[in-house]
Amino acid sequence: MAKKIYDVLIVGSGHSGGMAAHTLTEKGVSCLMLNAGPVADFEKDRTTKAAHELPYRGFGKPGEHPHIFQANEFNANTWVNEKEAPYSHDKDAPYNWVRVRLLGGRSLFWARQSFRLSDYEFKAADHDGFGDNWPIGLADLDPFYSRVEAQFKVVGRKEGWKQFPDGNFVSGPAGASADSECVKRLTAAAQKMGYGVSRMRAAMGDGGLASSVNLCLPGAVETGKLDIVPNAVVREIKIDRNTGKAAGVCFVERHSRREMEAYAKVVVLAAGTLESTRLLLNSGICNSSGALGRYLFDQQYGATVVAAMPEAMNGKARPGMIGGGVFIPRFQNLDQSRKLNFLRGYAMPMGTGSSPDAKYFPAYGAELQKLLDTYAGACIQGGIYGEVLPRKENHVRIHKTGRDAWGIPTLHIEARYSENERLMAQHAADTMEEMYKSAGFELLVKSTAVNPPGYSIHELGTARMGDNPKTSVLNRWNQSHDIKNIFVVDGASFVTGGWQNPTMTILALSMRASEYLAEQLKKGEL
Amino acid sequence: MRRRRFVTALAATPAANALLGQQPGRTDEASKLTTISPDAAALAVPRFFSAAQLGALKNLCQILLPSMNGNPGAAEAGAAEFLDFLIGVSPLERQTLYRKGLDTLEADAKRKYSKPFAELSAAEADPLLKPHLAQWTFDPPKDPMKHFLTAIRADVRTATMNSREWASAASSGSRRRRGGGGVGLYWHPVDPTRAL
Ligand SMILES: Cc1cc2nc3c(=O)[nH]c(=O)nc-3n(C[C@H](O)[C@H](O)[C@H](O)COP(=O)(O)OP(=O)(O)OC[C@H]3O[C@@H](n4cnc5c(N)ncnc54)[C@H](O)[C@@H]3O)c2cc1C
Repeated sequence: MAKKIYDVLIVGSGHSGGMAAHTLTEKGVSCLMLNAGPVADFEKDRTTKAAHELPYRGFGKPGEHPHIFQANEFNANTWVNEKEAPYSHDKDAPYNWVRVRLLGGRSLFWARQSFRLSDYEFKAADHDGFGDNWPIGLADLDPFYSRVEAQFKVVGRKEGWKQFPDGNFVSGPAGASADSECVKRLTAAAQKMGYGVSRMRAAMGDGGLASSVNLCLPGAVETGKLDIVPNAVVREIKIDRNTGKAAGVCFVERHSRREMEAYAKVVVLAAGTLESTRLLLNSGICNSSGALGRYLFDQQYGATVVAAMPEAMNGKARPGMIGGGVFIPRFQNLDQSRKLNFLRGYAMPMGTGSSPDAKYFPAYGAELQKLLDTYAGACIQGGIYGEVLPRKENHVRIHKTGRDAWGIPTLHIEARYSENERLMAQHAADTMEEMYKSAGFELLVKSTAVNPPGYSIHELGTARMGDNPKTSVLNRWNQSHDIKNIFVVDGASFVTGGWQNPTMTILALSMRASEYLAEQLKKGEL
Repeated sequence: MRRRRFVTALAATPAANALLGQQPGRTDEASKLTTISPDAAALAVPRFFSAAQLGALKNLCQILLPSMNGNPGAAEAGAAEFLDFLIGVSPLERQTLYRKGLDTLEADAKRKYSKPFAELSAAEADPLLKPHLAQWTFDPPKDPMKHFLTAIRADVRTATMNSREWASAASSGSRRRRGGGGVGLYWHPVDPTRAL
């Protein structure tokens, strides 16, 4: 076969890769997408089953997914198998790396909560002096957020709060009915404490699926400009020794282990933050700054406070009394004259009208059942989406001897939360407790524990962007400072992450970078 | 060996099915046949815990989740026998947690009542269990007995509420529905990597 050279080779098919393919093909750019895993068939690959029909009664095969708390026996086969694609961490510093290698990546399963970053995040260093600013601000990303929100059909309620930028919502929050009595009391209590209460913002997509495989890739394939190769595990980026530029990639065919090479004028990495960084580290490139692999962060989850509405207990809830969710965005450290004992801030998602989990009560037998009956349908449950500070010491590196099933060197992840995250979790739990009590609710559970890094499935950083090539890996266009025809369009480019779930920002950045790339290609700059 | 090569070669020809006597269509009928799960026809054979541990486990499961409100309890759901299997194929840490936990309860029962834990009533077991109950936190309690009791309280509920017995009770109109018996969308392995 004659050597085929595409305009762009995209590694990864999730939100970031899908958006790159969508944007580039729309501009007439020819693309090859390589994805490590197979294509799932939603009809054939899924069956409705009862837990007792499964080999482990729903527990899942013991030890199969030691780092994926979201795994259960129903979905166990969708996650990356750690025996095939292992990684390591220090024993005292667990890291939950949650990956999906099916075509579409994690976009097949995400919870679709959709937020914009604000200038409190983009310009965080200006605000409190810690770390670095992004080289771009909300104004740069705003038009791209708007287009992504339209494409992914994001719903939400506009508030006009600077730290919670409104989006180009297709409608108000889904299923938004009149506030229940419980939500009204919670809102009043929050407002008394200086917090504003909003609703969840979410991507509705098509039929609840807001993935790369239904919203990005079909249109791209239709242009005739996109070829997709599944089961292609990329090993490294191939550098042309004469030009110093990327010439393509080396990959391993997943089943046969056949070694292959594919060629393109530009390589776009969209392998899902740490996999993109792993590829750069394994290729030994794009690290003149020494920042590659560094500044790993995510969002912290864990702090949980559960209460009950007394009037709704013992099955006495009547229609309109309890039910519905609220969302309280960040309200901490916005005003620097009123600093707290930690930097940055957190949001609080809350649900009302749920029943308590049995694990919350230190009881068993009939006593436990009585408690479950008493509080059924009467609970208010709140949690934290908390900012994690980007710290240089939290990093990934290539393991000296570790290899995956395809002989590719594996990652060692070293990430620890700091006192800042712990103080923030404590503050969130105290705030929720005060709010519930002020609303007249009965406190049931208060946990200030911080879940392990990675748990939120929002790993970010490790190839951060910046204007200074000495301190950053990518420029403001997600383009490598060192090798101009390499772009990284996933969460690796983040400088800070805020409390916000990152996918809307990943999509907007990928769209923006891809438009820039297409222009540069046209100008012959790449 | 030669025969295997012949069969492989045949399978590669378009008329292979007919030559091998496999008629298309019959496989469709076979897939429509109703089958039942092994639990519907047979009993699990416990083989991990010692007799004393298993006895303690059975009684403990039943005390933690007795039959209530028309729903089967841990005993009816065979929770202890299932946990014997599950813990037997679990990582060593989990096995040790369970074995030591059960041994401690057995020793406590003998010390306090001069009889095995398996023979204790719920009222007798209470003073041995209650001191080990812990408030929920994300990380399991550091104290091994508190950790054990936290783990088994959750495991017994899952083993019972995900049992065939619970599912049929939940679907029977005469009984009070309590959820559980979890029905969900199960993902088959998607084109799994072949071991070479
Ligand atoms: C259960 C769950 C809930 C979530 N909820 C939310 C939410 O509510 N809101 C939110 O904002 N985010 C959420 N997320 C996170 C969100 O899914 C991710 O931020 C987003 O999908 C990341 O997209 P990506 O394209 O960067 O990476 P991925 O989706 O991980 O895609 C990476 C792709 O790269 C491929 N790949 C990796 N390595 C290689 C290689 N070497 N060669 C070839 N291909 C490779 C993989 O096969 C994969 O398809 C959630 C995630 C999960 C799992």
